[in-house]
Amino acid sequence: MRDRGGVLERLFWGAGSLLVLGYALVPVAWLVSLSLKRAADLGDGRFLPAAVSAENYVTVLRDPQFSASLVNSLGIAAIATALAVLLALLAAYAIVRLELPGRRLILAAALAIAMFPPVSIIGPLFNLWRGFGLYDSWAGLVLPYLTFSLPLALWSLSAFLREIPWDLEQAARVDGATPLQALWRVIVPLAAPGVVTAAILVFMFSWNDFLFASALTSTNQARTVPAAIAFFTGSSRFEQPTGSIAAASVVVTLPVILLVLVFQRRIVAGLTAGAVKG
Amino acid sequence: MAEIELRKLSKSFDGAGAVTETSLCIRDGELFVLVGPSGCGKSTLLNLIVGLEQPSGGEILLDGQRIEGVDPKDRNMAMVFQSYALYPHMSVRENLAFPLKLAKLSRAEIEERVQRAARTLELSDLLGRKPAALSGGQRQRVAMGRALVREPRVFLLDEPLSNLDAKLRGQMRAEIARLQRRLGTTMVYVTHDQIEAMTLGDRIAVLRRGEVQQVGTPRELYERPANLFVAGFIGSPAMNFLPARLSADRLELPIGALRLPEGLRTARDRPEGSLVAGFRPEHLTTGEGEVPVVEAEVQLVEWLGADLFVHLEVPIEGFGECALPEDLGLSPSVDGRRRLVARLDPATPVREGDRLRLQLPPGCLQLFDPQSGKRLTP
Repeated sequence: MRDRGGVLERLFWGAGSLLVLGYALVPVAWLVSLSLKRAADLGDGRFLPAAVSAENYVTVLRDPQFSASLVNSLGIAAIATALAVLLALLAAYAIVRLELPGRRLILAAALAIAMFPPVSIIGPLFNLWRGFGLYDSWAGLVLPYLTFSLPLALWSLSAFLREIPWDLEQAARVDGATPLQALWRVIVPLAAPGVVTAAILVFMFSWNDFLFASALTSTNQARTVPAAIAFFTGSSRFEQPTGSIAAASVVVTLPVILLVLVFQRRIVAGLTAGAVKG
Repeated sequence: MAEIELRKLSKSFDGAGAVTETSLCIRDGELFVLVGPSGCGKSTLLNLIVGLEQPSGGEILLDGQRIEGVDPKDRNMAMVFQSYALYPHMSVRENLAFPLKLAKLSRAEIEERVQRAARTLELSDLLGRKPAALSGGQRQRVAMGRALVREPRVFLLDEPLSNLDAKLRGQMRAEIARLQRRLGTTMVYVTHDQIEAMTLGDRIAVLRRGEVQQVGTPRELYERPANLFVAGFIGSPAMNFLPARLSADRLELPIGALRLPEGLRTARDRPEGSLVAGFRPEHLTTGEGEVPVVEAEVQLVEWLGADLFVHLEVPIEGFGECALPEDLGLSPSVDGRRRLVARLDPATPVREGDRLRLQLPPGCLQLFDPQSGKRLTP
């Protein structure tokens, strides 16, 4: 009786997991398959390519537009991430540790910004940036990314810092550390899982953004990959750039997958915060 | 050299732990204990001394110099926290070296001091471990070690033993006392445990609700408590209390009347009416003697090998309720009877239900004013 229940239960969970995995991964597999097909086979409707070829990848990587956008994407996302995490860390520390008047208000306001639909400010931002000379520049994208990802980082980091025993910081202060030294040498190492989680969240937000990238850039100067892919053209006007788009999509997915795999443990630890022992 | 003087030091809080106008002098090289029930402000006082809290008023002097404005890192005091506050991401060695690294000592000097502290506290085999891989007692020793390596002017210990089991606590208590004697460094020790306070302290300050009740040696506190609170707080089992009243030159107790004690008779402002009389459990002795005599049925016998505690109940009809500070947690009178505890020779053959006759030497009685709680007997 017991065993059959166990088998049934395992079957149920196994099948359920397979279903969810398939639902999530089939489109990705399709994309990979598309990217490996020859130009002539693109419309054949087969799930597995008849013949594997790297020609799409070669085309994409040879394209100066794409490699420029890759550099832009990496640079902008990295700068936005570094700034957002640094600022969020200091802000979260202040909110959690100091008896700051109105700290609830600050958190609530931050949340409100995160809720704000970005599309509603695109128009004004476009005009503003042209006026400030920020249009089509790295700073022009870093700023909005910072604005919209800071609340996220702030919330996840402050939840994390709250779990770190205050005694540790006081001990560091008595041991001869300045407030900054205590933060840097004791609190940050302990909050590392939270910091990494916040960094990945911000990086993915910046990396994946299409809205700002397409509206606030126009050339290789600052155009990021998601926007660049949208501007792909085929080699002739009778040809759909499907293969190149698929190959480019696979290329931009790789860093994110890599990032998540490397920091997987940290993320899990970060999402299940509170494991810090005093 | 490190003498700490507090002058009318105050710290106001919304919650518990406030301190009001505390003046104390902690002498150089002394092991000074701050003791009191939870929320009495003893930890706040320690945090004020080390600089983790800013006073709302008053002065703190270290060797005659005011230090209220000095940052904790510049006070050269070491603190041991109740939670030990070991840095979980550092090994024992790194934990010990942390304050030295911050002080920018040379690598060789750091290594030497860490080794020396590790030897003193028997941590040499554990230097490579992380705090999570240590037992409670070992963590406690690492916390002590981290304070030790600094060679600070003052040690501050905030309930350092309260997370240990009873046996280990006794061991560490002795170790701390030995260490302090050897180093001769001023130490301020906070605890809620009066036994710890009595066994460790050169001098003790008893705190209650942010106010110092009495400062003195363990013997002074035990034999001449300044008020009802100190009398009931110091000593285990606690002092026995009975309601009493004065009439002419006699002192009437529920267990009999006696001539007024010498000191009180000559006191200039003699109190009138009701009083509270207190005596220690060990002052009740078996044997035939003069009044007052406690004669009652034995309610409970606790035999501890070296000690025998006998619980008795005596009626207090005709006397008012014995007004004791409620935060002492002493049992009130029930149905007009008060519970007394006697500490007898363990060889005494007593069983529950026996009737027992115990005498109380009048000289052992201490009298307190029920309103102010102040001791009246000199």
